[in-house]
Amino acid sequence: MSRNARAWAERPKFPPTHYVDTRLYTDPEIFEEERRKIFDHTWIIACHESELAAPYDYRTFRHPGGQNLVVVRGDDQVFRAFYNICPHRGNVLVQQPAGNARALTCIFHAWTFDCRGSSTGIARRKEGFQDRLDAADVGLRAVRATVGYGGFVWVNLDDEAEPLASFIGSALDILAPHISAPLEVFHYQQVVVDTNFKLWHDTNSEFYHDYMHYFNRVTGMQQPGYFERRYTPFANGHASVGSMQVQYDRYDGSSERKVGWPGLAPGGWLLVDIFPGMTFNLRTSVIRVDTVIPLAPNKVLIELRGLGLAGDTAEERAARVRDHNAIWGPFGRNLHEDLLGVRGQGKAMRDGSTGSRWVLHGREEDNTIHDEVGMRHYYATWSHFMGRSASNPFGEAP
Amino acid sequence: MSVAGSVTRTDVEELIYRTFLTLDARDFEGYLALWSPDLHYSVRAFSPEIRRDMVWMDLDRSGLETLFRTLGRHNSDPSPLTRHATVCTVALDVSRQQATVVSALQVFRTELDGGETQLFAVGKVHDTVTLAEGGPRLRAREIRLETRRLGIGSHIPF
Repeated sequence: MSRNARAWAERPKFPPTHYVDTRLYTDPEIFEEERRKIFDHTWIIACHESELAAPYDYRTFRHPGGQNLVVVRGDDQVFRAFYNICPHRGNVLVQQPAGNARALTCIFHAWTFDCRGSSTGIARRKEGFQDRLDAADVGLRAVRATVGYGGFVWVNLDDEAEPLASFIGSALDILAPHISAPLEVFHYQQVVVDTNFKLWHDTNSEFYHDYMHYFNRVTGMQQPGYFERRYTPFANGHASVGSMQVQYDRYDGSSERKVGWPGLAPGGWLLVDIFPGMTFNLRTSVIRVDTVIPLAPNKVLIELRGLGLAGDTAEERAARVRDHNAIWGPFGRNLHEDLLGVRGQGKAMRDGSTGSRWVLHGREEDNTIHDEVGMRHYYATWSHFMGRSASNPFGEAP
Repeated sequence: MSVAGSVTRTDVEELIYRTFLTLDARDFEGYLALWSPDLHYSVRAFSPEIRRDMVWMDLDRSGLETLFRTLGRHNSDPSPLTRHATVCTVALDVSRQQATVVSALQVFRTELDGGETQLFAVGKVHDTVTLAEGGPRLRAREIRLETRRLGIGSHIPF
């Protein structure tokens, strides 16, 4: 039976932990608050160490909190991150997304900075500033950076935030044996889609949507072990999903993967979601890592990375790239479908108050693969950070 | 005169244009008929972010056939793509019975709902055309994309 306007607006007959008010995905006030209360205080993947392979290599990063950062590998091999802003006139300091420079030089007035963020050159300083400007007062703003969990460079804008290891806890333990060897990024892609960042992370946090993926249905859902895959929630909103043996040869024209992954059983597939918007996805022969960068309530930039082993032979790398592209490349089967899904959600929710009103997270299947515990766990942490209920973010009377 | 010697630049240009017209029309059978049996199709892009050349598609005939054959089982954006190519250079090599062709490519995407058209991708197309018996056929195509943000992507290549 269809519902009239009043019935449509009624709260779902679930516990408040099992549904979300869609204004979480559309409200500008909530969006700004998320940047300040969540992204400014949590560890975020900025890039991978293989993107800065040599001393003085740099890499820019648009932080989800809105700040422009630059990561630099020092001559001492230490990775440091700074606001990518010249302290003089506020210009973007490094203009290119990646490069190598012994001195970071602002094109505007030729001020220079070293790989430790110290001011090393102020054009015609004596003539203009005499003795009134101390170089120590115009260094770059340093941002906490640390390398870990597969060689990723993590940053945190909060100088007082807990250490990365404490933030991650044991969430990535399931991947630890498989990401101890050096990794290398072979694929980098940005996707901008009109949807809220959490909806992309939600998609990475539930497998019920395998019904959307023909590839996953025939190689996974219809195969033994699929419904035994289990979610494990961890502190701070993270969650992992256990493995199965994917039957790649069940897809027309496909075959078993020619290369595997150290320590992973053939056809294995492990996934870890990291709060507030990163996903590690090790699928048999290749790792994909997503990072969401919210641009507006209904617009997100997703950074997609594909990684192999740094020690790959040319043949092994080619096989990993081929496997990656088949489902996760820009023309891949699954990525396009996932993006169609979240774009549709963004379209349905863009008018907030009159369109989609609630999103259900009500499936309970003993934490197995179609249980929606991953999303429920995420929103419990979201509520903790935000001081708002995800199902009643504005504290309205039931 | 050999077959290769009778092939003109116009013949080669027309082959190139037909490949895009058949894809626009989703005439996959007609598209594959324009290729030689030993075809090689690839899409590449250089990433300034990771400073690497990236392979985004790398298919032989079997791979392309599978891609087209399985399309109907997937959820795909139904918005049509329109490929505009301009053949820039054609180098005919009669002795090797082949031509090498460089074209500029622009791909537009038209929303099914409302018909708004937006630029989807730009790049260059590097083709190798065989001029052996049976008329010109495409043997190898490498599309080098400048555009790396492809929105929600596409199941059908360029």
